[in-house]
Amino acid sequence: MADVPAGRLPKPQMRGLLISHLKRHGAIALVFSMGVTLAYKLAVADPRKRHYEEFYKNYDVKREFEAMKEAGIFNCARPSWEQAAEED
Amino acid sequence: MATPAQLGLMDAASPVMEEMIYFHDHVMLVLILITCLIFYSMLVLISSKYIYRFLTDGHVIETVWTVIPAIILVVVALPSLKLLYLTDELDSPQLTIKGVGHQWYWSYEYTDYYDIEFDSYMLPLGDLNKGDARLLEVDNRVVLPVDTSVRMLVTAADVIHAWTVPSLGLKMDAVPGRLNQLALQCSRVGTFYGQCSEICGANHSFMPIVIEAVPVETFEAWCDAMLDSE
Repeated sequence: MADVPAGRLPKPQMRGLLISHLKRHGAIALVFSMGVTLAYKLAVADPRKRHYEEFYKNYDVKREFEAMKEAGIFNCARPSWEQAAEED
Repeated sequence: MATPAQLGLMDAASPVMEEMIYFHDHVMLVLILITCLIFYSMLVLISSKYIYRFLTDGHVIETVWTVIPAIILVVVALPSLKLLYLTDELDSPQLTIKGVGHQWYWSYEYTDYYDIEFDSYMLPLGDLNKGDARLLEVDNRVVLPVDTSVRMLVTAADVIHAWTVPSLGLKMDAVPGRLNQLALQCSRVGTFYGQCSEICGANHSFMPIVIEAVPVETFEAWCDAMLDSE
């Protein structure tokens, strides 16, 4: 053990450690939180807005209503097959 | 309607509810920013082996952590107030409907162009068809024309109720002796469900609201059918 030369430890920072830590970790915290926020915006918020825009861009009230009516969703407008069955 | 294990808001069926969803996303951004900042700060503080023994004051940091939350509050408050006033905007409604809360059902009156009145009771379990929603279906639904500005006047006949349809972003107290106004506009056809939202007695949970948004022609045909049946 004595024949192995001891390496010199780096000199520790003697002054201003708190300030330097605050600056370093403050920057990391800011980047981390802004990154996660941006990820939520890009992955959730913006796609949701686009989804609504695309839904209403070519929304056809009549087509949707007819499909729902035939599925028997509405009470005020019954499907054609039900009306035909009643007539029979 | 809401589905089991649903975490987010229901899909919007009105422009106001869409804006509420976007505002919710906006506030979530702020919350995620704050949570990540605090989470990282806690991680660093817990894992640090150093203590600053000569810490007596921190005027700069105290100013920073006072001003930044104030700015964050303004960033949240401004869109919030804009949305709040948007919910009250009623631009030349083409139809007015009165909804009256009773113990324990709703009654509706269409008195603009026709004289239509009906009660809306919850369908009991034995009267449900296959596929119907338990505790949400009613015998007579509120039929509205789609893409039409509607004024909903809400009141009550006995105790305080609340008329709610989450998909449309609507909730208004029904107070006896008072008329509360709601601006209602359905952007798409379909059926939209809600429940009484103010405790009103034993069957408070059993007086739901169902809206059918249909094209104008179907709405007019329904009105004629209702008049004929009366």
